[in-house]
Amino acid sequence: MSHIHIDVENVNFSYLKDKPILKDITFQAKENDSIGIIGANGVGKSTLLKLLVGLNADFSGSIRVEEIPLERKTLSKIREKIGYVFQDSDNQLFMTTVYQDVAFGPENYGLPKDEVEKRVEDALNKVKIPYLIDKPVYQLSGGEKKLVAIATILSMNPDIILMDEPSVSLDPKNRRNLINILNEFDHLKIISSHDLDFIWDTTSRVILMSEGRIVADGPTEEILRDEALLDRYGLEKPLSLTERNN
Amino acid sequence: MSKINKAILNIENLRQTAQKDQWVNRIHPLVKLFLTIFYIAIVVSMNKYHLLGTLVLAIYPVFIFIVGEVSFKDALRRLRIVLPLVCIVGILNPFFDRTIVTYVNLGFATSKYPDGMLAVSGGFVSFFSLMIKGVLTVFASYLLIATTTIEDICYSLRKIHVPKVIVTQVLLIYRYITLLLSEVNKITQAYELRAPGQKGVAFKAWGSLVGRLLLRSMDRADEVYESMCLRGFKGDFDITRQWYGESNKNTFIGDLSFAIIWTGLILVLKLVPVSYIIGSLFI
Ligand SMILES: Nc1ncnc2c1ncn2[C@@H]1O[C@H](COP(=O)(O)OP(=O)(O)O)[C@@H](O)[C@H]1O
Ligand SMILES: [Mg+2]
Repeated sequence: MSHIHIDVENVNFSYLKDKPILKDITFQAKENDSIGIIGANGVGKSTLLKLLVGLNADFSGSIRVEEIPLERKTLSKIREKIGYVFQDSDNQLFMTTVYQDVAFGPENYGLPKDEVEKRVEDALNKVKIPYLIDKPVYQLSGGEKKLVAIATILSMNPDIILMDEPSVSLDPKNRRNLINILNEFDHLKIISSHDLDFIWDTTSRVILMSEGRIVADGPTEEILRDEALLDRYGLEKPLSLTERNN
Repeated sequence: MSKINKAILNIENLRQTAQKDQWVNRIHPLVKLFLTIFYIAIVVSMNKYHLLGTLVLAIYPVFIFIVGEVSFKDALRRLRIVLPLVCIVGILNPFFDRTIVTYVNLGFATSKYPDGMLAVSGGFVSFFSLMIKGVLTVFASYLLIATTTIEDICYSLRKIHVPKVIVTQVLLIYRYITLLLSEVNKITQAYELRAPGQKGVAFKAWGSLVGRLLLRSMDRADEVYESMCLRGFKGDFDITRQWYGESNKNTFIGDLSFAIIWTGLILVLKLVPVSYIIGSLFI
């Protein structure tokens, strides 16, 4: 039996008082799930992901990560388990060299130096960019930055990975590379995107959101093939599927 | 390349030089911080007519430039910003302070200087010594930054119990400065593309441009901070970390002697009129 890793129950959230962004969100995610959160721009995908790592406080309802309720005092423990990849890698990387940035997390958790080095090497190997280790971050291309950003969280050995719009600004080769990397990661992952082809290639379950609510939750196969459903919520069937059908 | 792009590149280059694994870079940041502050205090406190004495103090930056292999060209570039300011501050000295303090032997006579002696007023001497002070203090602080990473400086500040709030501010400001600059870059580029042939930014657009800049940099700064928190940053530095040891070939004794020798030397140069002594040997 696989464990329930994330348990979200009746969560409501708003940035401004009378403008609710997330409404009554309930779902569970299991150990080996790979979940895509889809929906048009502004439906609250990013907001939901940030909520799960405690970046947006003041929600109502309950969020539990590996049985631990998400509260102020459990934040650091929960963040050790979850790796969150920002949409904009530029904001995620703040150290000078790739090594330093990837080492930042393990160092903060007080690991000994040789362990930190090993973690950095492993993480960079996993995303297949070991040769970038000493490069200054500002000299990297957009795709490389994304991979380094992923390495910065892999170096903390997370049980769960959250990714906000990972495929934005990647060229086809980097995109394919990222898909392979994600598929190799066998823990729970939740990926938000409006790039449905990307979701098709990387996830087995899809949560469809509209105006802050979950309007559908089911196997990727089913939901992404349901043209009428996608159309109703402003999305288009993945290109790869359309081609195959024609 | 735009000016802003260049500025970002300069900062990044500086950060990289600070990370070189070299003797000067490995010296305990507290030592360098102390020496720099001490040096600047001494330079600033030099008598304004004591031109040579001030000049002799250049020995410290010269030493670090050579030993630390810091690019002198980059340091000179930094002066461009500061020197004009110092100039403005000192420019009136020659007009107000006209007492003659010394004569320079020109070695030839002209109709204007029949005895071949050029009179130099106190104002000129103090103007030049102010300029020299400006150069030396800029160099000293530049050398500190060029040989010490901001993380190390913050670590050392925490070691001497400077409050966490202040140290974190220093760290974040340094990290945000490139963010801010790259936002400036993006916004001005977007503006230029839509206002071809226009030099600078039109006055009426300043308000909204700066407003946008502020909001966007705040958003980005927020995310950087969030990203730090997500990776276990709790607003503090590991002050239990040992500076010396496996990865640092410097020794405590070595760094301590470095500190003592330079403190002594700077003090001697300040208190003993070395330049006069050397000068008198030749006259
Ligand atoms: N920091 C914020 N303050 C106020 N409103 C916000 C903030 N961030 C996002 N929003 C609003 O919340 C809604 C959902 O945004 P977001 O979660 O980013 O959507 P998505 O990621 O699905 O495109 C949007 O209407 C957006 O304007
Ligand atoms: Mg989003």
